[in-house]
Amino acid sequence: MPSENQSGMQCIECEGLLAEAIDGALHGSTLAAFEAHQQSCTACHTMVEEATAGMHWLKGLDDVEPPRHLVHNILTRTIGALPSEHAVVPPRGEGWLDKVKGRLAPIFAPVATPRFAMSFGMAFFSITLLLSIAGLHISDLRRLDLSSKGIAKTYSSTQARVIRYYDNLRLVYEIESRVRDLRRVATPEKEKPPEEPTPKTQPKSDNRQDKDRTNQNYGRDANQPELAASPAGNEQGMKNLTNQARLNRRTA
Amino acid sequence: MDDIQAVNALVRRCVTGDAAAWQEIVQQYHRRIYNICYRFSGSAEDAADLSQEVFIKMYRTLSTFDTTRASFMTWVTTVTRNLLVDHFRKGKYDRITDSLEATPGNQDDGLTLAEKLEDHSAGPEARVRSQEAQKLVHQALRKLSPELREAVILRDLQDMDYKDIALVLKVPEGTVKSRINRGRTELARLLQRSYKQVS
Ligand SMILES: [Zn+2]
Repeated sequence: MPSENQSGMQCIECEGLLAEAIDGALHGSTLAAFEAHQQSCTACHTMVEEATAGMHWLKGLDDVEPPRHLVHNILTRTIGALPSEHAVVPPRGEGWLDKVKGRLAPIFAPVATPRFAMSFGMAFFSITLLLSIAGLHISDLRRLDLSSKGIAKTYSSTQARVIRYYDNLRLVYEIESRVRDLRRVATPEKEKPPEEPTPKTQPKSDNRQDKDRTNQNYGRDANQPELAASPAGNEQGMKNLTNQARLNRRTA
Repeated sequence: MDDIQAVNALVRRCVTGDAAAWQEIVQQYHRRIYNICYRFSGSAEDAADLSQEVFIKMYRTLSTFDTTRASFMTWVTTVTRNLLVDHFRKGKYDRITDSLEATPGNQDDGLTLAEKLEDHSAGPEARVRSQEAQKLVHQALRKLSPELREAVILRDLQDMDYKDIALVLKVPEGTVKSRINRGRTELARLLQRSYKQVS
């Protein structure tokens, strides 16, 4: 292989300038001689091509990310201290609660305001109140039986409690309305004492009461002890009412 | 200039026992040191161990840093390089590297080696594709002799100038350039040879 061609530059010179040539640091006559040499010298031409390709591949390598705990470990092994809060976080994985918070935060961001929090709080309070009226307490949820049998049992007992509660409400309402009626009427008649034994059969009622009963029976059997009649007063008086109230309490 | 003075002040604080200054130095230089160790050793695990060793050595010898002789960056790189040479001379981290030729056979993305290597364009798709190329180049780099490897790492990965590389390697600038040329050329040949075997 000839070490010099018509460009006047020797191969060894060309090789010496290779790094600067690839860096683009050659100018003027040196650059011209370098280019002329590699056009006429296959070996140098190949060398320039390979070196350029090698440099591009190397420069294409990205920086790699050091392990998160590296700084922490270095500091522990040198000054024996943990880094301050400005340094890299220790290699402790975040808890599941943090992960859940992290995922939910963007979803709830638009409603995470004090006003919405207040509304949610009030809604929760209302639901809790309703549930506790129905006899269901939040603390009971832990003991909740979620099997099909358990759900059926919970349903029927809750239903019974709701009915009892409603019955009691109606009784109170009935008593209030009767007392009002009696005051309004204020008849001179002496009232009979309410201490009468509970009748085994239902006292006879008038037509109006029958009509009311059909409206207020809530699906109970006809022979079942009747609940208090409608709030609209009638002439039955306190006696009938008390009997019904006793019956009612026994049912509950 | 301001940067150099700031770093020198940081080092002085460190020598007087300022832990916060040391922490600052660790934060500033751990990435660079880790990357040099990673590209030289070829292993992330070794790189983490070696980086810690480098900082322990730096911490013990920080008072020997002479601001009149070299920049702190050059000093840090010298400490790193010396430790790497020591360790690899002892054979502590010498491992059998995976065969470069064997790698493309494991790929199932339908790309030829040439496609993987030639894809230097930007964009997310090219980025993902270049992951394979990165792996191949990284493996080829591991096949260079330590002398050529350290030269191209400092020049092409750490962007150091020839004068500073000469200081780190304690060889003349001409030798630095020659090693860089040979390192680049040999790397290209390694990658082309494996491409020819695949295609
Ligand atoms: Zn030539």
